[in-house]
Order: sequence, then structure tokens, then C-alpha cells
Amino acid sequence: MAGPELLLDSSIRLWVVLPIVFITFFVGILRHYVTQLIHNDKKVDLQQVSDSQVLLRSRILRENGKYLPKQSFAMRKHYFNNPDTGFFKKVKRKVIPKNPMTDPSTLTDMMKGNLTNVLPMILIGGWINWAFSGFVTTKVPFPLTLRFKPMLQRGIELISLDASWVSSASWYFLNVFGLRSMYTLILGQDNAADQSRIMQDQMTGAAMAMPPDPNKAFKSEWEALEIVEHKWALENVEEELMCQDLNFRGLFI
Amino acid sequence: MRKINIESTLYSQLIIDDENKLVIKFQPKTNVFLYCISEMRDKLRKWREENYRNSEQIVDVGEELINEHASKLGDDIWIIYEQVMIAALDCSRDDLAWSCLQELKRQFPDSHRVKRLAGMRLEALERYEDANKLYDSILQDDPTNTAARKRKISILRAQGKSSEAIRELNEYLEQFVGDQEAWHELSELYINEHDYAKAAFCLEELMMTNPHNHLYCEQYAEVKYTQGGLENLELARKYFAQALKLNNRNMRALFGLYMSASHIAASPKVSAKVKKDNVKYAAWATSQISRAYQLQHLPAGVMLTSLALSISSKTPYTTAASAGVAVVIEIHGRRQT
Repeated sequence: MAGPELLLDSSIRLWVVLPIVFITFFVGILRHYVTQLIHNDKKVDLQQVSDSQVLLRSRILRENGKYLPKQSFAMRKHYFNNPDTGFFKKVKRKVIPKNPMTDPSTLTDMMKGNLTNVLPMILIGGWINWAFSGFVTTKVPFPLTLRFKPMLQRGIELISLDASWVSSASWYFLNVFGLRSMYTLILGQDNAADQSRIMQDQMTGAAMAMPPDPNKAFKSEWEALEIVEHKWALENVEEELMCQDLNFRGLFI
Repeated sequence: MRKINIESTLYSQLIIDDENKLVIKFQPKTNVFLYCISEMRDKLRKWREENYRNSEQIVDVGEELINEHASKLGDDIWIIYEQVMIAALDCSRDDLAWSCLQELKRQFPDSHRVKRLAGMRLEALERYEDANKLYDSILQDDPTNTAARKRKISILRAQGKSSEAIRELNEYLEQFVGDQEAWHELSELYINEHDYAKAAFCLEELMMTNPHNHLYCEQYAEVKYTQGGLENLELARKYFAQALKLNNRNMRALFGLYMSASHIAASPKVSAKVKKDNVKYAAWATSQISRAYQLQHLPAGVMLTSLALSISSKTPYTTAASAGVAVVIEIHGRRQT
């Protein structure tokens, strides 16, 4: 049940909504350049690169092994999984747990990350909350439950107000995530103003840098490879090929 | 006069006219006339992304872009410098290569990428010791730099030391198992050394990572066919068929299918059923080949093919027959590559 339609003062639009958008946008761009300035290249370890490529190869063997002759597949599987001399059985990497307190490079990276991303967000969020408080800023187009009220309506002490009417702080946070595609448009892909990508990066742990424990990765890959059977895709390829004439369209200009 | 381009280079064309005579026509070097900067830029980008090696064209277009329109290119100019420099090294345009290198050095003084280009220039001048020292210095700085390692291997190859090149490339591949360019290079080196078993292994790696590439299937089948022996011929036939399945127009694979099937059929130690099957495959391949020629109304070609096929079906091992088929493959092979 949508509550009574409130009519907001149009100066709210002029002096609150638009300024918040601009502030968020420019702070994002500033963050991008600052990050680029204080960024230093990640040193990639040769061992890690090599290991990640080996894991990739094993995965491809599992997926596309059916295109190889049985002998070749068996040879490669044996190379990886042989109980005595197989790669995944034999190779144990020394894992140095990267203690964030003692390892200086990770410490500085973490600090830089915090400084450029979390700190501005907190500061500006707090400032907006202080500066633009006490009134309703905008309405989200979908109905929300009452649980959202304390979160989205900071500073507005109205019990009967619909939860869809939000304060300026929530408008700010909406902008932070919403302007991501704008940053992609203006700064190109892979820009440092992109907050959600940073969170994504922390979660995946892509093909370039290994997860801190290669031994675990090896073990899971070994298990996956053990259970794969070779079902040759080329068993009946001639029959399949010859059931119809070849399509020569475009062979000669 | 109906033109059928069998082969055309920038300078001459082989044409078959209406009386089915083979005519060679010489044409002046048709330059690619592009009138505006964006067209030239797009062409360069397309050549760069698809790894074309038309160095003369790149030098022509790139030189004009650099000399006339440098200011309007913006930041693109650096990658164009790199592209043009490599093309200039191919065409022995040392002056152009040097000037590109100077510009890049000025802009990116400490870059490994630029150092590699400097090394390539030294290689082009055959100063292999200096090039090696340069690459070693890059590797000291950054042990994971694959480009420098691959250049060192190419130096060995250029000097003709193929066994050392093979050894180095093997060591490289032990660390960087995913580098497909390197696997392909290794397979070529092994083929040159006639070590077909190892070449087949390399091609298997490539097939595994690119299962839908018909060219790798076809190369693998050819290596297996060259190795000889009944199981290898069977494998070759299967992979020729797979290459055809992936790309119906691969004439080399079609001829390979015919050759391997007829070889198996003619072999004395096969069972009757296998022989029958292979004769069927060979007959199918023949019918497809004649269909392809008929599509082009090329009676000369049909005669040549049917002559070669009739000879080879009677005595598959005669060199004349293989030569006949080889000529036809040659004509079609150029079309495919």
C-alpha cells in the first residue's frame, strides 16, 4: 500500500540530489588518479605463474581430453596423477603464510587500499549525513519493508513514513555503486574508482596470482583428474562426416 | 574473360581464361589507397590484432601516418611505432626502424618492451652477442618476462643451432606450459628434425587447447600420416575427417583423407571389413573432390585430378601419382593458407 504521495520542494532536487551526484562522481575520479599515482606494480613470482599455468593445462586436459587419442590422454593423465612420479603427487610447494603484520609489502598495499577506498567513503558519507540531514531526499521506485527504515531514513524521525522515502545518505551510497558504469565509460575499463571490482578482486584470485595455498589446489585438481574417463570424440567421425555432402560454399571466390 | 584467382600476390596474378589456359598477368604494385587517417588507423589496428605479417603494407601505411599525421594520432602513436618498427625490420628499412626506436626510447626510457625492440633490431643486424646481452639484462630484472626468453630462442634458431633451440624451448615450456605460440614453434622445429613423435605431442597440446581449430587437426593428421604404420594411418584418417568436419572447405584435409584411406585399404595386413570401410571412405572422398571441381567448371582440373586419382587408386605408392596429387594439393594449399 503506497503511502501518501509527498510533494518535495524542488530546491531539494537542485541543492541536494544533484550536488550529491557530482560530489560522488568527482571524488571517484579523484580516487582513480590518486590510486594510479601511489600504485606500484605487483611483483609476480615465477613459481606462481608456472603453477597457475600447470593447473590451467590440467583443467583443459579434463575438458578437452576427448579430442586427443586415447594413448595421448593416458600419457598426460599419467604424468599428472601417477602415484609415484605424478606432478600433483610429487610437487609440494613450500607455503609461507603471508602474515600481514610482518610482511611489509602486503601491509602497505592494505593500507593504501584502505586509504583510497574506504576512508573517502566514510568521510564523505558522514559529511553528507551531517550536512544534508533532517529531510527526505528522494523515493526509491519499489516498496520496501519497515525493516529498512532505520537504515535508509537516518535523521528522519517519522514513524508512519513509508520506507521508500530515503534520506540523502542512502542516496549517496546508491550513487557510489550506480556510477560504476559511468566510470567505465569515462575512464575506460579497469579503473581504480570502481569499488565493487576491488571487492571482486579480493574474492576471486584469478589465473595470474595463485591462491596462497598451491598444495590445496594441486590436491583438488588431482582428484578431479582421477575421475575423468576418456571418451574419444572422434570414434565415429567418418560416419558423421559422410552422411551428407560437404558444403563448399565460399571455397572459390 | 572470367577470372578465377588461384593465387594473387601484390604484383602478379594467375588467371584461367575462358579457353582454360593458364595466364600470368602482371599488374603494377597496387597499393592500398586509403584516404583518411581513421581508415589507415583502423587498417593498422586490424593488422595488429589479427597478427598479419604484411610488412610492406604496414611500412607504407605506417610511415605515412607517422610522418604526416603524427599529431592527430594521440596516444595511439606509440603502439603504431612499435608495429611499424617490427615491419621495418622485416623489410630491412633500418632507418625507419631506428627512428621509431628513438621515439619510443625517448618516451619510455626504462621499459622492458622497448628494450626488447632494441634487441630485435640488433638481431636484424645480426649482432647476436649484443642482442643476447640485452635480453639477459631484461631477464635479470624480471625473470618472468616471456618475450625476452622467446627472442633468445629465436636467436638460436636464426643461427641455425636447432638442437640448442629445441633444448631451450623445452626448458621454457616446462615453466610456461600454456604458451601456445611456443608449442607451435617447437612442433615446427621437431618436424624439421624429422622427430615426428615429439612433433605430434606438441600438436596434441595445441589441439587440446584449441579443439575447434581445423588447422591444428590437419597438421596433426599430416604428421601422423608421415610417421606411417597402420595405427598412425588410422589416426591420420580420423583427424583428417575431424578437420573436415570442423571446416568443410579444407581441401588439404580432403585429399589427406583420400590418401590415408587408400593407403590403409591397399595395405596387406588389414582385415576385409577394414579394407571395405576404407575403400568406401576413399570413394566418398573422390566423389567430394570431383564435386568441388565441378562446382568451378574446371575441366582441366577435373582431368588432372581424376588422372591422379585413377593412377593412385591402382598403385597407391607410385611417386607419379603422389606428385600428381601433390600438384593439385599445392594449388589448393595456397588457397587455404
